Amino acid sequence: MALEDFRADAMRCTRCAYCKWIPFDHVKSWKYAKGCPSIEAGKFHSYSAGGRLVTALSLMDGRSTVTPAVEDSVFKCTMCGLCDVSCKLCRYDMEPLAAMSELRATLVEDGHVPAQVEPILKSLRTEFNMLQKPRAERGNWAKELGLKDLSKEQAEVVFHAGCRYSFDGDLGHVAKASVKILKQAGLDFGIMGENESCCGGRAHTMGHRKDMHTRATHNLTAWKKAGVKTIVTPCSDCYHAFKRLYASTEGSEIQVLHMVEIVDQLLKDGKLKLTKAVNKKVTYHDPCHLGRQGEPFVAWNGVEKKIFGQAVAYEPARPRYNGAFGIYEAPRNILKAIPGLQFVEMERIKEAAWCCGSGGGCKETYPDFALSTANQRLDEAQSTGADAIVSACPWCERNFLDANQEGASKLEVLDIIALVEQAL
Amino acid sequence: MDKKNKLIAIVGAANVLDDPKTLEAWSQDESFVPARRPWFVVRPQNLEQVQALVQWANETRTPLVPVSSGAPHFHGDTVPSVPEAVIVDLSGMNKIIKIDRRNRMVYVEPGVTYAELAPALAAEGLRISTPLKPRPNKSVMASLLERNPTQIPRLNFSLPEPLRALGVVWGTGDVAFTGDAGSGPLSLEAQWQKNLAQIDPKGPNATDLMRLMTGAQGTMGIAAWASVRCELLPSARSYHFLPAEKLESLVDFCHQLERDRLGDEVFVLNAAQAARLFAASPDEIGSLQEALPQWMVVVGISGAAFYPEERVAVQEKDLQIMAQKFSLSLLPSLPGVTHAQVSQALYGCSQENYWKLAPKGGNQELFFLTTLDKAPGFVATVQAIAAELKFPINDLGVYIQPQHQGVSQHVEFNLPYNPKCEKEVAKVKAIFEKASAALLADGAYFSRPYGSWAAPVYNRDATAKHVLQVVKNILDPNNVMNPGKLCF
Amino acid sequence: MEISRDAYRAIEDIVGAENISDDPAFLDSYAFQWLAELVRPENSHYMPRPWAVVLPATTEEVQAIHRVCNKYGIKIKPISTGWYHWAAPMKDNEPTIQIDLRRMDKIISIDEKNMVAVVEPYVTCAQLQAEVMKLGLNINIIGAGCSTSIVASASTYFGAGPSSYYMGNNSDNLLGQEWVTPGGDVVLTGSLSSDCGWFCGEGPGPSLRGVTRGNMGSRGGLGTYTKCAIKLAPWHGAAVLEPQGPPPAYRLPIPENTRVYTIGVPSWDAFAETYLNIYDNEIGYIFHRQFNLAGADLAPALWLTYLRPDGTMNDVETASKDPEMQKLADEGRISFQIILQGRSVDEVKLQDKILDAIMAKTGAYKVGRFCEQDFAEFTHMYLQRLGHKHCNFIWVGGYMGSWMQAGIPDFVKNYSPVAIDGFYRDQKQSDGLVQCGGDALMGCGSSISGGGYFGFEQFVSYDPNDKASVQACVKHMYDAIDDCKANGIPLGKEYIYLMIGWPDEQIWNDFSKAPQTFVLHFQRKIKEHFDPRELGDRNYPWLPKGMGQPNFITQS
Repeated sequence: MALEDFRADAMRCTRCAYCKWIPFDHVKSWKYAKGCPSIEAGKFHSYSAGGRLVTALSLMDGRSTVTPAVEDSVFKCTMCGLCDVSCKLCRYDMEPLAAMSELRATLVEDGHVPAQVEPILKSLRTEFNMLQKPRAERGNWAKELGLKDLSKEQAEVVFHAGCRYSFDGDLGHVAKASVKILKQAGLDFGIMGENESCCGGRAHTMGHRKDMHTRATHNLTAWKKAGVKTIVTPCSDCYHAFKRLYASTEGSEIQVLHMVEIVDQLLKDGKLKLTKAVNKKVTYHDPCHLGRQGEPFVAWNGVEKKIFGQAVAYEPARPRYNGAFGIYEAPRNILKAIPGLQFVEMERIKEAAWCCGSGGGCKETYPDFALSTANQRLDEAQSTGADAIVSACPWCERNFLDANQEGASKLEVLDIIALVEQAL
Repeated sequence: MDKKNKLIAIVGAANVLDDPKTLEAWSQDESFVPARRPWFVVRPQNLEQVQALVQWANETRTPLVPVSSGAPHFHGDTVPSVPEAVIVDLSGMNKIIKIDRRNRMVYVEPGVTYAELAPALAAEGLRISTPLKPRPNKSVMASLLERNPTQIPRLNFSLPEPLRALGVVWGTGDVAFTGDAGSGPLSLEAQWQKNLAQIDPKGPNATDLMRLMTGAQGTMGIAAWASVRCELLPSARSYHFLPAEKLESLVDFCHQLERDRLGDEVFVLNAAQAARLFAASPDEIGSLQEALPQWMVVVGISGAAFYPEERVAVQEKDLQIMAQKFSLSLLPSLPGVTHAQVSQALYGCSQENYWKLAPKGGNQELFFLTTLDKAPGFVATVQAIAAELKFPINDLGVYIQPQHQGVSQHVEFNLPYNPKCEKEVAKVKAIFEKASAALLADGAYFSRPYGSWAAPVYNRDATAKHVLQVVKNILDPNNVMNPGKLCF
Repeated sequence: MEISRDAYRAIEDIVGAENISDDPAFLDSYAFQWLAELVRPENSHYMPRPWAVVLPATTEEVQAIHRVCNKYGIKIKPISTGWYHWAAPMKDNEPTIQIDLRRMDKIISIDEKNMVAVVEPYVTCAQLQAEVMKLGLNINIIGAGCSTSIVASASTYFGAGPSSYYMGNNSDNLLGQEWVTPGGDVVLTGSLSSDCGWFCGEGPGPSLRGVTRGNMGSRGGLGTYTKCAIKLAPWHGAAVLEPQGPPPAYRLPIPENTRVYTIGVPSWDAFAETYLNIYDNEIGYIFHRQFNLAGADLAPALWLTYLRPDGTMNDVETASKDPEMQKLADEGRISFQIILQGRSVDEVKLQDKILDAIMAKTGAYKVGRFCEQDFAEFTHMYLQRLGHKHCNFIWVGGYMGSWMQAGIPDFVKNYSPVAIDGFYRDQKQSDGLVQCGGDALMGCGSSISGGGYFGFEQFVSYDPNDKASVQACVKHMYDAIDDCKANGIPLGKEYIYLMIGWPDEQIWNDFSKAPQTFVLHFQRKIKEHFDPRELGDRNYPWLPKGMGQPNFITQS
């Protein structure tokens, strides 16, 4: 795709501003009606999906040029995709998230990269992670666990911890908990250990598509060599990259499962029993990449056609990603299965969830924006009366932990798999 | 005599009056506004004559004081504030122009009174929401233009309801219609031919011309006709009384009642006001007041169109539940008050001897808008002032009329007095002045600032006053329309 | 348009550097507006680009901005939620500052007992509705939907919606308001001007709100409204709406005190009779002709596909060929939606019974499929929140409402067939418009408070990405005007839309032929006083001195 391919989306945008809000039917209060972290921070219309479509159009038509302000408006966005859900409530011919992604990629190709991204990219290219950690330390979390090393052995299932669970000391226990559960379920699986590489998903959402391609090639080659047919990951960012991005850009057909899907199925099959009480009141934060962006990929290569004279359809029918089929129930089923746990919902949930603030590379490039977005989520979580906010993505959790360090809330930040481990 | 001849040329000799008795009668009203004798009283018979009068007034810089209702008048707005004024008595323009049953609209001239309109509408199966027991010669249009409170708050989608459109001779001498009527031809008949019905009060264009006429005390122009929305005449009715010893006990109930739009006629009275309203004759007032509860909510319920009886029954059941919720009793009648007396009070007009004047011959009204939660505080303020100035507290009548579907409340105090007794007059005047000042200071909203209320009200906001003066200057550049009123 | 940087710096000093921008791409995001392509040269999607955009946070900042604009002769164009071509600057050669009020987004207060809420301009209907429903109250959401600003619809634009019939038009629901004139004065109206709170919009004496509220409002043409109070209405439903199911067709369960119906009628005569009977019987909480926006021919195919989260336009195309769907289209050809809500279950049962009696009398009927639980719950959600209003654009992103003439039922029943024939003719003449059948008339059950007066607009769908389609829409607009003139029907919304693109002289020439021009001269004089430097645009219209019917105000 090229930016020009989204001209029609831009021309057909009606500036209705649905992209700034959660789906209106779900609005339950003044405070938590807002859906777009970007415009909450940037305020000008250009910081919304609709605004970016106009930016794209304006740049394509030579009405304006890429200025620092334009760069800021394009990149200061978590790419959370709530705008995409809200837009598609009423539209079948718009792909605002894809258009924003294309705009980013175009700016990157033209050399407009925020300065703070450079060291992160360098780390990705040389150390295969964006956390600027030595590649050699990647498998440390699994030392002494006796897991199959798929760089040397074969297995149909690979457990992919991801950069954050691999390197983040506060979260590494989640990877351990995950493999404990997989082992308990009797699954034959392995890890890539030191040879595991970043999924590249964050690079892609930041506009650096070639970097994701490099990472994808590395990963897919390694998995193929190891005979892998299924990837299991507790990281929603990786999940999205493998399930949606690898499928759409690399043609990958490999099965991708998030740990919550595995645990949910194990619970349903009676292969996993949660017996220990966890006496907490918790609320659940839907990661964007597991929820609304976690819908199954459907291959499509088609063209627009007109029906009824001027209405827009596609030949063949274009798959519709509107957040309807994201992974929402599995984590909730798990939480409801934990003895003693009291589960309460926030106002903005599932496809309408407010982003943690970490996505789109913002954790790295716009840390203040990322934290202020997290603050708003923690505030919402706190309003439920919960003791803890639970999620299923290390990027969300890291950002919440950092926000808490700055005094955002006193909520415990928990990973759902770690919680399951407590209940085993 | 040029003036008189000119007036005669416009309205005819029979309709120009300047005999001393007539002029004397028009020189004062029941308020404490200083008397001033007009030069003439003229009685135009149609819009064209009104327009000619206004144009003449502009040419000669002659003040005009438009009046539609018959005497007695109460608020000083019909008493000239300046010398050499001409009273424009519109009572002769009293045609019910049209009753449109299908769209539930009636078109009236300014002289049409409640007493005339009610039976005409009833014959078509219609009614309008009226002020509380209006005097029979009260002009429907004047009442609506002055935003007099009406009894059925649920119908009150706006304060000017049920007024919709007006045909106005503005102070400039121009004729222009208001609302949706302002967009069509300058003729009702021509508009009707196009199936236009003058129902939408908004506009024309970016202006609400009608709203510049309301509350204006005739200072912007003279309305020659009005379109008014009607309701179906109920075929089933009942009424109920909810007594209480204290007004405070009724506040939460009334909030709920108004919020739920339950019932038609809804208002609150104290015993003194209720006795005067319901008494068959002045002689009964004292004994009736003794028998009545200190405070009461009056709720009229009705049913029209399909299943009227069932409508009444459902509302009664809901009312019963609501009363129980607020620990109030629901009475079907009041001691010593007959069904006919209640019906007359709720659905009819006053007898010739206006019920507010009947007790003592004089009555000073003091009214304003507020919200219901604040009403008891204002009542206490006036009671305290009345007591301080030795006014018999039991004579102080209080009437609270929910407006605008319960958002605002018309709170009205009535101080009856003997106009022939100077001492009583002085006392009531003193109470009126002191209470007005106190209420104003406490946040009572004098939305209809008659007489002495105008200056302190407009001095509260110099910007709003200036804007209003700009509007006045556009619509009445020579200040011929009732000069001296409001802030003009 | 170059203006002294001093002006920019002066405004920057008021709001801070982060709240003003003149970046061309940012400005384009404000110039790009729906409907621009119908009125701009070369069918450009851009209205004139603002000179700068500013984000004030307080009334005082708005006031100060206005004063700077007066000093430097910069035009003022405020927007709240910001939509329509008239939300943008009007002329290319006039430097205009776009005042984006999104930072003024607070609900100042909700007075539950007295049913009054006070809001700033960027509070949307959805937000306020959610808050007041917790208190058993509701607000009238205008037809453009819950994404809109309450201050905008109450103070400065049309205020009608599906619930106006019961809850009142926002022109009547408007209580106190705060208006910053172009000159920078703050005008308070109603009880606010007496420092008595927000609860009343009228008086003291004549109501100042009459200067600008009118029918259309001043649409940003005469200063900025920075706060207003709005009257709330009863709500007997759940404290919090809990929509069910996946997107897009969320469903709202129907409680025992509520009924949701789609009612069909055999003819426009029967429609008028049914309308008048509903009006006389005072039943109904929401009264609207909603789903016909897709066109009577295609409505069932579209909406039944919409119920499925994975449904596509290809499915709509397939469904439209299904004979069963065509039968359903015929069944619902002249239909409308009505929601009954009772304060008690008994009350709604009675309303239901009355509706049955009305239908028996007029030949109306319930459209079966649309009254089934799934569709009824979807209808309930749709109309209670109006959160799907941008389905207006569902076909292809371009929609223009023609024939928006309101009137009494007999007026509407007479113009509707003319509007249908004209639209059908234009669909057949070219393939520039979505072919959805001649009747895509949609509208609320009352344009004013309480009913008795309403109107429909034709949902003309065109492709903004296809110049030929845009031009077909423009042609239809002029055709509709001709149809109106030929049939003695007042001109509708298409005329108001087109006017945005016309030169002043053309507008004045048209205005001068209006049967009554008094108000346009009144507005000129108001403008002379409150906007002497003409910083507002002609969305607050006027006629130059001497034009129109000769009378006193025209000449003075």
